[in-house]
Amino acid sequence: MSETGLISVFEDRPEGRFTHVQIDGDGLATAYNGHVDLGTGVETALAQIVAEELDLPLARVAMVLGDTARTPDQGATIASETIQIAAVPLRKAAAQLRHYLAGEGARRLNAPMDGVESRDGAILWKDTAVTYAALAAGKDVAMRLDDEMPVKDPSAYRIVGTPAGRVDLPAKVQADFSYIQDLVVADMVHGHVVRPPYAGRDSGDFIGRSLISHDEAAVSGLPGFIAVVREGDFLAVVAETAHQAQRIAEALPVNWRMPPPAPDLSDLKHALKAAPSTPRALDRSGDFDRAIGECGIRLDRTYVWPYHLHGSIGPSCAVADWNGGKPIVWSGTQNPHMLRGDLGLLAGLDPEAVEIRRLQAAGCYGRNCADDVCGDALILARAIGRPVRVQLTRAQETLWEPKGAAQLMEVSGGIGGAGDLHAYALDTWYPSNRGPNLSLLLTGRISPEPRDSDMGDRTTVPPYRVPNKKITVHDMAPMVRAAWMRGVSALPNTFAHESFMDELAHEAGEDPVAFRLRHLDDPRAADLVRRTAAEAGWEERTGPRFRREGRMAYGQGFAYATYVHGTFPGKAAAAAAWVCDVTVDTLTGEVTLTRVFVGQDQGLVINPDGVRAQIHGNVMQTASRTLHEEVSFNSLAPAPQSWANYPIQTFDKLPEIRSMLIERPEEPALGVGESAAVPAAAAIANAIFDATGVRLREAPFTPGKVRAALAEAAGTPAALAPPPAAPKARKRFLGLAGGLAGMLTLGAVGIPMARSIPPQPAPAASTFSAETIERGRQVFAAGDCAVCHTAEDGIANAGGRGMETPFGTVFTTNLTPDPETGLGLWSFAAFDRAMRKGISRDGHNLYPAFPYTSFAKIDGADMQALYAYLQTLEPVKAETPAAQMVAPVNLRPVNAVWNTLFHDASGFTADPAQSAEWNRGKYLVEAAGHCSACHSPRNLMGAEATGAKALSGAVIDGWYAPALAGTATATRGWDADAFFAYLREGHAPGIASASGPMGEVVDSLTALPDADIRAMSVYLAGLAAPGTAPAPVPAEAALLPDASSRLFRAACSSCHEPGLADTLTAAQVPLGRSAAIRAPSAEGLKSVIRDGIEAPLSLPLRDMPGFGAELSEAQIDELAGYLRARYAPDLPSWNGTPAAR
Amino acid sequence: MSPQSVSFTLNGRPVTAETDRHRVFLDLLRGELGLKGPKYGCGMAQCGACSILVDGRPARACVLRAARVEGADVVTLEGLAGPDGLHPVQQAFVEAQAAQCGYCLNGMVISAVALLRANPRPSRDEIRQGMRDNLCRCGTHQEIIEAVERAAELLAAAGGTAHV
Repeated sequence: MSETGLISVFEDRPEGRFTHVQIDGDGLATAYNGHVDLGTGVETALAQIVAEELDLPLARVAMVLGDTARTPDQGATIASETIQIAAVPLRKAAAQLRHYLAGEGARRLNAPMDGVESRDGAILWKDTAVTYAALAAGKDVAMRLDDEMPVKDPSAYRIVGTPAGRVDLPAKVQADFSYIQDLVVADMVHGHVVRPPYAGRDSGDFIGRSLISHDEAAVSGLPGFIAVVREGDFLAVVAETAHQAQRIAEALPVNWRMPPPAPDLSDLKHALKAAPSTPRALDRSGDFDRAIGECGIRLDRTYVWPYHLHGSIGPSCAVADWNGGKPIVWSGTQNPHMLRGDLGLLAGLDPEAVEIRRLQAAGCYGRNCADDVCGDALILARAIGRPVRVQLTRAQETLWEPKGAAQLMEVSGGIGGAGDLHAYALDTWYPSNRGPNLSLLLTGRISPEPRDSDMGDRTTVPPYRVPNKKITVHDMAPMVRAAWMRGVSALPNTFAHESFMDELAHEAGEDPVAFRLRHLDDPRAADLVRRTAAEAGWEERTGPRFRREGRMAYGQGFAYATYVHGTFPGKAAAAAAWVCDVTVDTLTGEVTLTRVFVGQDQGLVINPDGVRAQIHGNVMQTASRTLHEEVSFNSLAPAPQSWANYPIQTFDKLPEIRSMLIERPEEPALGVGESAAVPAAAAIANAIFDATGVRLREAPFTPGKVRAALAEAAGTPAALAPPPAAPKARKRFLGLAGGLAGMLTLGAVGIPMARSIPPQPAPAASTFSAETIERGRQVFAAGDCAVCHTAEDGIANAGGRGMETPFGTVFTTNLTPDPETGLGLWSFAAFDRAMRKGISRDGHNLYPAFPYTSFAKIDGADMQALYAYLQTLEPVKAETPAAQMVAPVNLRPVNAVWNTLFHDASGFTADPAQSAEWNRGKYLVEAAGHCSACHSPRNLMGAEATGAKALSGAVIDGWYAPALAGTATATRGWDADAFFAYLREGHAPGIASASGPMGEVVDSLTALPDADIRAMSVYLAGLAAPGTAPAPVPAEAALLPDASSRLFRAACSSCHEPGLADTLTAAQVPLGRSAAIRAPSAEGLKSVIRDGIEAPLSLPLRDMPGFGAELSEAQIDELAGYLRARYAPDLPSWNGTPAAR
Repeated sequence: MSPQSVSFTLNGRPVTAETDRHRVFLDLLRGELGLKGPKYGCGMAQCGACSILVDGRPARACVLRAARVEGADVVTLEGLAGPDGLHPVQQAFVEAQAAQCGYCLNGMVISAVALLRANPRPSRDEIRQGMRDNLCRCGTHQEIIEAVERAAELLAAAGGTAHV
C-alpha cells in the first residue's frame, strides 16, 4: 500500500489480479487500462471518465496505460474500442470507489448515506466536508469490482462532455516528455539491425534462410564495437552509441542469398484476384442470384484500393533489458499483451515472464514496426547482457512496416421495379493478416507460411435496406507484409458501397442523398444523413452538374458510413457522413479538396475537443491517402524508403474542415478514432463525378489518372506521356582502345622510354628556408594536391584515392616523404620531371589523370618551393594501389605516345600587354591551379581541348565542371567579384555554390592570400566575355504534375523551395541558376542527386543528402529531366525532345 | 574519421562536444547532449521533426553536420520557454490543442517561431505555405494553423519581446 493510505478497486482476471482505479492518502487517483494512447489523446478521455465518476478534478487523475505488469489484458488498441469497450470496467470501478468514499464520508460527517454528495474530491454534507485524501489516509482497502455497480446518469456529468485539454500536451510542447524514442535506461547500449534484401515480405522458403555470411572481423576494431549478433536472418550490430552502431552496421560485409522476385503488384486489380484466396460467405439475405435478374437498372463495378504506408513520423524504437531471464521491454506497441506472447515465444519464456512497459510513440494508425523492433532489442539484450536500444531508420521502417493492405472490391447491384434497391453483392479481397512479429520470422521461430486473417469483413454490408444480398469476403494471405491500418477494410469497402450508391442514384435519376435516405431504416443513421446534408449546404442534383470556371471544375460529394469493426457481423462504432467540395483542374488533373463537412454520431461525447481532433485528423489523413498515396514496388520489395517516393498531403493542401457532433448523451459512447475516415474516399470520388462526370474507381486519384479519365471521357487520347528516355551516352569512348593500340604499334619504335632517376634521399626539411616552405605550401594549395592525394577518410596526402576516368581507375600516389612508398627518395630532378613530363622517378609514365600538362607551366622557384614543402610533411607509409585500366591504356608506354601527341612541356609565358595581376591569375589558373583539367573537355584520347574549346565545360568523374570561358559564363552573372566570392568562400550569392570536387578545391584555396584569389578572379572574369550583361534567371516552366513533380515536392522542395525562406539548411542557389541543370548533359546533375553533397567544413556551404540508395536510375533520369524542363525551359531537353513538357 | 571538437551555445549555455566530420548535429543533440525536443524522423530534411534554430534561423538538424555549428547560437524546443513560463508560440499550441501524437510538434513549434519572426502577422495562406515542409501524419494541420494565428496574437500582445 501507499505510505499515505490507499483504497482500490480490483478485478481477478485469468491473467491475474489487476487494479482498475485507486486513490491514495494525498487524494490522487490512478487508473489502469490495458489499452494505450496511440497519439489520439484517449488518455485524456479515459481520465475524464474516471474523474467524472469519482467527482475528482481531472488534474488529480493519472492514467497508466498498457504496462503488462500493471494493467489487464484488454486486447489490442484497435477498432476504436478504447472508449466503447475497454473503458467500461474503469467507469464502474471509479463509480464503486466514489460510492465507498461517500459511505466513509457519511460516517465521518455523521450524515445519512443518501444525504451526502461528492464534488471536487470531497464528500459534502450541509456545510461540512471531508476530502478524499482524508478518507484514504491511513487506509488499506482493496475492493473487488462490482460489475453491477450503477454509474452516473449522464445528465449529471460535469467533466465528461466538456472540452478538456490534452493532459500530455504541456510536457510535450516544452520537450519535457519521453516518447519511446527518448527513453534512456541506465547502462543502455545501442543496436542497429541489418535487414535482409527481401524487405517487406513475410512468406516463402527464403524467409529466415537467406543470410550466407558476414565478416565480423572486418568491423570489430571500429570505435564503440560491442558485438555482432546473428540468428537465422536476424543480424544486428551492438555498439556504445547509436551513431557508432549505425556506422558499424553500414560497414559490416554481409552476403545474402538473392530472394526470388516479389509478386507483380503493378496491376493490383488482377494481382489480387489471381492470388490464392478463400471465399467466406457473410450476409446472404434473400436470393441475390434471382433478384439481380429482376432489376431494371443493374450495375457491375470494380473498385481498387492501393497499398498504403502508416507513415508514422517517428520510426519505431524499443529498449530491452534481459534482466536475468525476466525481461523488461520498453515499447511503443499498440498491443502490449499480444507482444508479450510474441516475445515469450522468441525468448523461449512463458509470456508472463516478459514485462512490457508502454511509452507513447509517434502516432501509429495500425500495425507498424513498433512490435518488430521490440523483438530486435530483446534478442540483442539477451546476447550481450546489457539493456539495448534499437532505433529503426526511416528506410527500415518504411520498407518493412506491414503495409495498409490493398483491396479489390467488386459490386453488382440493381434497382427493382418499385424503384428500390433490390439486389446487392459485394466481393472483397483483402490480402492482409495481423503482421507476425518480424523477429519470429527472421529467426525461424515461426514458419514463413502464408497466413490469412479475417479482417477483410469490416463494414462489408451496406447500411441500406436491400432485400437480396450476397456479401462475400475472400480471405487471403498478404502478398507483401500487410496488416490493419486506420479504417482497416471498412474504408475500401465503403469506398465501394458509397461510390456504387452514387452510381445507382445517378442511373435512377435521383438525388444521391435522397436516394440513400429512402433506403435507410435506422432512424439514427437517417437523422445523421439528413442533418449533415442540411448543415453542410448539400445541393440537390440528379446527375453531375459540371460547374466550370475556365479550366477549373467544381463539385460536391456525399458519403456516409457506420464503421462496423470486429469479425462479421461485427460491432458498430460512431457513424459519420461527409459532404465535401473539390476543385478539379481539368488541364493538370489535380484534385484539390477545398472543404469538408463531417457530421458524426458517436453517442455520448467524452471530450468534444478530442472528438473534433479525431475528425480533423481522419479528414486530412484520409484525403491524403485517397488523393496522393500509393506504395509502389520494385521486383523485390516496396520502393519507398523515405517520403521521397511516398508524398503525403501537407499544410498547403489542408481543406477547410467543419464538423457537427450529434450529441446523444443518453447513448453509450462510441469509438471515434476511425469513423470519419471511412466515408472519405467515396465522398471525394462522388465530388469529382459531380464536377466532371468522370467516375474514379481506383485510388489514389492522382493527376495522371484524372487526366487520363478526363481524356477518355472526352474521347481523346491521354496526352502527355513522358518522352521516351534517350539511349545512354558514353559511346564516344568505344573507339578508343583500337585507336591507341594502333598508335602503339606505329609509334612505339621511335619513342624512347624514360630512364630511371636513381633513388636519393631528399634534403632534410630543415635545409629549406621558412619562406620557401610557405611558398611551397601555397603552391600545394593552389594545386589542390591534397584533394586528389588523400583517400576518402584516409590520411592526408598519403594517396590512394581512386580517380575514375573513361579509361579505368587510377589511384593517386603518396606525396609524403616516406622513403619506401612516398617521395622520400626522390631528388628534385625526379620530382621536377614527374611534374612537368608525367614520368615517375623509376621512368614509367604517369597517367594523364595527373595533370602534369598544367604543372609543366609552374615556374622553377615555385616548383622548388613545392618540393621543399612536400619534404616537410609527416612521412606516412602507404602503398599506392595498382591502377585498373582498360587495355591497352594499362600499357604504360602508351602514355608516352600520348605525351608526344598532346603534351606541351614548355613553361608559362606572360602576356606583357596585360596587367601583372592578370598574368598572376593566368599563371595560377593554368599552372598549379590546373583548372583546365576539369573545366576543359577532353578529346577521345583524354587530352584537354585547347583554343576556343578550352575551359568550355566538361563532365569529369561524374560531375559537371561548368564553362569558365565564353558568354554563357558571363550571362550567368560571373564577374571578378563573383569569382572572388566563389573561390574564397565557395559561394557566389545568387550564382553558384561549390559542390562535389569543387568544394574541396575551394577548401584547398583557403591557403592562398586574397591577392592570389583576386588575381585568379580577374583573369577568369576576362575569360567570361566581359561586358556581357547577366541574363535574368529564366522563368520556371509550368509543367503538368507527374511522378517527378511529386517526387520533387516530397524529396527536394523542403530545401530547394523552402516554405521558410531563411532556412539555414536549405540550398543557397536557386535551381534556375544551377550550372548542373544548364549543363549540356544530365550526368553532373544526376551525380548530385545520387551522391548528394558533403561540402568541406571550412567553407560556409551546405550539404545535401544523396538519393542513390532509394531512387531508381529511371527515377533519377526522370527527375533530372523534370528539373531541366522546369528550371531551364530556354534550353533543349537532354534527350532531344522539346524542353517544356 | 578523426574526432574533432565543436563548441557552440546551446539554449544559452556554452557547450563543447566531440564529433567527427560526418556526424550530423541531430545525433549529437539527442545522444551525448540528451535532448528530447529535436526528433529523428527521416534523416533527409523531408519531415522537419528535427528542426532547431541556429543563429535564429530554422535548420534541419538531421542534415546539418555537427561541426558546422562551431560558434553558433543554437536554440531547441527545450530553450524556448523563459523564466516566466512558456514561449508565446508554445502557449498558443497548448491553447489551440495543436497536437495529436505530438511527435512532429518540435518542428511545428520551431518553424512557427521562425515564420513569425520573419512575418509577424501572416495570413492564413502564408502560414500554410510557411509550414508546408513540416509533415504531420495525424492530421493536426487545422489546429496547428490556428495555433500559429494565436501565437501571432500573443506575440503582438507581448510587443515582440518574446522573440528568441
